[in-house]
Amino acid sequence: MRKSAYLLPILAIAVVGLMSSVYVVDEREKVLVLQFGQIRQVQDTPGIGFKIPFIQEVVKYDDRILSLDTDPIEVTPSDDRRLVVDAFARYRISDVVLFRQAVGAGGVATAEDRLQSILNAQIREVLGADQVTSDTILSADRRQLMNRIRDQAQASAQGLGIAIVDVRLKQTNLPDQNLAATFDRMRAEREREAADEIARGNEAAQRVRALADRTVVETLSEAERLAQVTRGEADAEASAIFAQAYGADPEFFDFYRSMQAYEASLLGSNSTMVMSPDSAFFDYLYSGDVPVAPPVVE
Amino acid sequence: MAGNNGGPWGGGGGNRGDDDDKAKRPNGGRRPGEGPQIPEIDELMNKGREQLRVLMGGGNRGGSNSSGPNEPFKVTRGMVGLGVLGLALLWAFMSFYTVRPEERSVELLLGARYQTGNPGLNFAPWPFVTYEVINVTSENSESIGGTGTANDGSGLMLTTDANIVDIGFQVVWNINDPEKVLFNISDPELTVRAVSESVMREIIAASNLAPILNRDRGLIADTVMANVQTTLDEYDSGITIVRVNLERADPPGEVIESFLKVQAAEQQRDTLQRQADAYANTVLGEARGTAASIVEAAEGYRAQTINDALGQASRFTAVLSEYLKAPEVTRQRIYLETMERVLSHVGKIILDPAVGGEGGSGVVPFLPLNELMRNTTAAPALGAATTAEGN
Repeated sequence: MRKSAYLLPILAIAVVGLMSSVYVVDEREKVLVLQFGQIRQVQDTPGIGFKIPFIQEVVKYDDRILSLDTDPIEVTPSDDRRLVVDAFARYRISDVVLFRQAVGAGGVATAEDRLQSILNAQIREVLGADQVTSDTILSADRRQLMNRIRDQAQASAQGLGIAIVDVRLKQTNLPDQNLAATFDRMRAEREREAADEIARGNEAAQRVRALADRTVVETLSEAERLAQVTRGEADAEASAIFAQAYGADPEFFDFYRSMQAYEASLLGSNSTMVMSPDSAFFDYLYSGDVPVAPPVVE
Repeated sequence: MAGNNGGPWGGGGGNRGDDDDKAKRPNGGRRPGEGPQIPEIDELMNKGREQLRVLMGGGNRGGSNSSGPNEPFKVTRGMVGLGVLGLALLWAFMSFYTVRPEERSVELLLGARYQTGNPGLNFAPWPFVTYEVINVTSENSESIGGTGTANDGSGLMLTTDANIVDIGFQVVWNINDPEKVLFNISDPELTVRAVSESVMREIIAASNLAPILNRDRGLIADTVMANVQTTLDEYDSGITIVRVNLERADPPGEVIESFLKVQAAEQQRDTLQRQADAYANTVLGEARGTAASIVEAAEGYRAQTINDALGQASRFTAVLSEYLKAPEVTRQRIYLETMERVLSHVGKIILDPAVGGEGGSGVVPFLPLNELMRNTTAAPALGAATTAEGN
C-alpha cells in the first residue's frame, strides 16, 4: 500500500523522462539536436532518436521541396524598357547545420527573407545584363535566363544550406504607368488595321465596279459593231437585189420609180402645187377652152 | 499523457521545432482523430489526477483528509481497471482507421516510410505507426488569371510583340503517387499554381499576339500541359496534370473595343466587295441584254431590208413584164393613175403663164407663198386664171 503510493509518481516521472529523451524523425523532416544552443547531432534519416532530456533540444526542419514567391520588382533590361518581374523558387534545406548557422533561430521565415533578396539580386543581375533586352526576356530565350538565375542563385544560396531546385519567372509585365501607352498603341494598331480593311474593301469594290463598267461599254460597242455589220450586209444585199431587178429596164425603172416617189412624197401632205396648164396632165382639161393649142400628147 | 496536446514526443522541450513542424504540416496525421479524443482524455486525466491526489493525500497527510485511507483504496482498484480498459479502447480507436475508395494512406513507422494502405479498415498501432490519408482520384483544379466573371486583371500577360493579352485558364490535376506528394513537396496546390502560371507566361512571352487570339489556342493549352508536367516531374512531385482549359485568351478589356472594330471593318470590307459584285452583276446582265437586243434588232433590220428589197424587186419585175407587152398604154395608165392619186390630195394652183403677160415668169414671183401655206383649205383664187380648190 505504501509502496504503491510511491511507485506511481516514480513511474510517472520515468515515463515523462523517457518521452522527453526519445524523438521521432519523420520522413519529411531533418532534425538538429541542440545542447544549450550548440549543435550536438544531426539526423536526416527517418526513425527514432535519443537525447538527454531537458538539456538537449530537438529542432526539426522540413526536408521537402519548399516554395517561395518573390514580390514583384522592377527591372530595367539593357534597352531601358522597364518590366515588372516576379519569380518563384523551389528549394530544399540541404544542409541543416549550415542552415541553422546562417539563419539562426529565425528558421524558415528568416531564410525566405534572405533567399528573396538573393533571388531579387540575381534577377536584376541576369535580366539587367548587357546583352539582355526586353525582347530577350519576351522570347523563347527566357528559359535560358531562368536557368541562369537559378544557377547563380544556387551558388549564392549554398552558404545558407539551401539547394535551389528551380527558379521560374512568373509575371514579366509592364509597369502600370506604361500600360496606358501600350493600350493606346494597341488601339492605334487596331484602328490602322480597321482602316486598312475598309480601304481594301473600297479598293476591291471600285476595281470590280470599274471592270464592270468597262465590260458594259465593251459589250455594247461590240454589239453595235455587229449590228452595223449586219445592217451593212443587209443594205448591200438589198442593193444587189434592186440592181438586178431594175437593171432589166433602166428607163422604165426611172419612170416607175418616179411615179412611186411622187405618190409617196406628195400624198397626204399639206402641199399645194402651182401648176401650169401646159402640164401633160391637163392636155385634155384645157383643150376645150383653148382650141388653138393642140393637145401635146400624141 | 500531456503529450497528446502538443505531439507525442514534444514534452521534452523541443517546443520550437515542434511548432515549426505543425505549421508546415497543417494536415498532420493525428488531426483527424483529435476531435473526439480530447474529452475522453480530459475525463480520464481528471479522474487519474483526482485519484493521484487522493493517493498522495492519503500517503502524506494521513487522516487529515475527510475520507478514510481504506475507502479510496477500494475505489482506486475499480478506477484503475476502468482506466486501463479506457486506455485500451482509446488506443484501438487511434490505431484503426478507414480509407475510403477514393483515398490511399501512407503509413510511417517511427517516421520512416513504411507502407501504403489500401481502401478499407487499416491498422496502424499507435504511437509507433502514424498515417496520412490522401485523396488520389478526385481532380483538383486551379484557376489562374481570374476565370469567368471573376476577372481581376491578374491574367494580363505581355507577348513577344509587346502587346498585352488577357489569359484565364484552369489546370486540373490529381495525385498519382501519394508518397511522392507527401514526402517531396510542401504545398502541392501552390506548386501547381505557380508552375502553371510561370509556364503559361513563358509561352505567351514567346508568342505574338495574333496567333494567341486565334489559331494557337489549342496548341497553347497542350504545350502548357506538357511543360507543367515536365516541371512537376523534375520536382518528383507525384502529381499528374489531367488537362489544361484555356478559358480566355482575349485582348484586354481596355482595347477590346478596337478589336471589335477591326472585326466590324472586316465585315464592312466584305460587304463593300459584295455590293460591288452585286453592282457588277446587275450592269453586266443589263449590258448583255442590251447587246443582244441591238444585235437582234440589226438582224431584224436585215430581214426587213432584204424582204423589202425582194418585194419591191419582185413587184417591179412583175410590172415590167406587163409593161413590155404594151409599153405605151401602160406607161400612160401609170402616169395618169399616179397623178390622179397625187393631185386628189394636194392643193393645186394652176397658173397660166399667158395671163402674166408675154414676159414669161408672169406673176409667179409675187405669190404670197406663206399665205398660201397657211390657208391651204381656203386658198383664195388668184389672178384671173381659173383656180381649183384644194381639199
